[in-house]
Amino acid sequence: MYDNAEPEIVGPPKGEFDYKDVEGFERYLDAHGRLYSRKRTGLDAQGQRRLKKAVKYARFLALVPYGA
Amino acid sequence: MTENKHIYQAMFLLDNQEVRKSYAEARDWIRTTLEKHGAEVSVLRLWAERELAYPIEGKRRATYLLGWISATGQAVNEAKREMYLLGPAFRVLFLRADEIPQEELEIGIQDLAEGELVIPEDIPEVEEEEVFAEDLAPPVEEKAAEENSSEMAKKDDSEEAAPAEQEVKTDEDQTPQEETSNV
Repeated sequence: MYDNAEPEIVGPPKGEFDYKDVEGFERYLDAHGRLYSRKRTGLDAQGQRRLKKAVKYARFLALVPYGA
Repeated sequence: MTENKHIYQAMFLLDNQEVRKSYAEARDWIRTTLEKHGAEVSVLRLWAERELAYPIEGKRRATYLLGWISATGQAVNEAKREMYLLGPAFRVLFLRADEIPQEELEIGIQDLAEGELVIPEDIPEVEEEEVFAEDLAPPVEEKAAEENSSEMAKKDDSEEAAPAEQEVKTDEDQTPQEETSNV
C-alpha cells in the first residue's frame, strides 16, 4: 500500500543557489536527477523556484543529467 | 533606438580537441567574437575541464570557460548565433547579473601556464554489436559433428561397460550354483 511515512526534509541551503555549484544542490535531486518536491526539500516557494532555475541551467550545461 | 548595456555572466563549453591544440587560440576566438558584436569582455577564465553528464554531439568531456561581459541584448544574441555556427564553442549560456564580483575582476582575461590545463584523452564510444539469433545458434554442420561425436562417445562407453556387466553376471550366476551344491 502507500507509504505514509513523513518524507525526509532536506532543508534550506546555506546560501543562494548557483548553477555552477552542483554539489550544493545535488542533495535536492534524486538518483535519476529529478528535483524533489517542496514537501521534501522544505523550501519556500521562492527558494524552490530558484532551485529549479539553477538545476535547469546546470542541465543545459551538462553538469547534471536531465533524468531518466 | 539605442539599447542599454547590461552585465552578463557567460559560460562557454569548448570542444576539447580545439582546446588541446591551443587554449589561448580558443579563448581569443571567443573574446574577439564577443567584441566584434560590441560586447565588452571584463573576465574570461577557465572554470573547469570535466566529464559531461550526458554526451553532446558525441563528446563526453568539455572545457568550461566562464566570462563576465557587458553588452546589449542584441549583441549577446548575435554573438551567440555566430558561436553556434563557427568556432570551438558548442554550448553557450548568458545570464543577466547585477554586478561583476570583485574576485572575478581581479582574474581578468586569464592566461594559463604550461601544464596547468591537462586534458585527458577522449574515451572512444563503443558501439554495441547487434546479436542475432542465428549467431547464437551453432551452424548445422557443427551440430551434426557434435551429434556424431556424442554418439561415438556413447558407443565407447557401452562397449567398456559391457565386460564389467558380464563379469558381474558370471559372479552372480556362480554363487547360487555353489549355494545349491552346498545344500
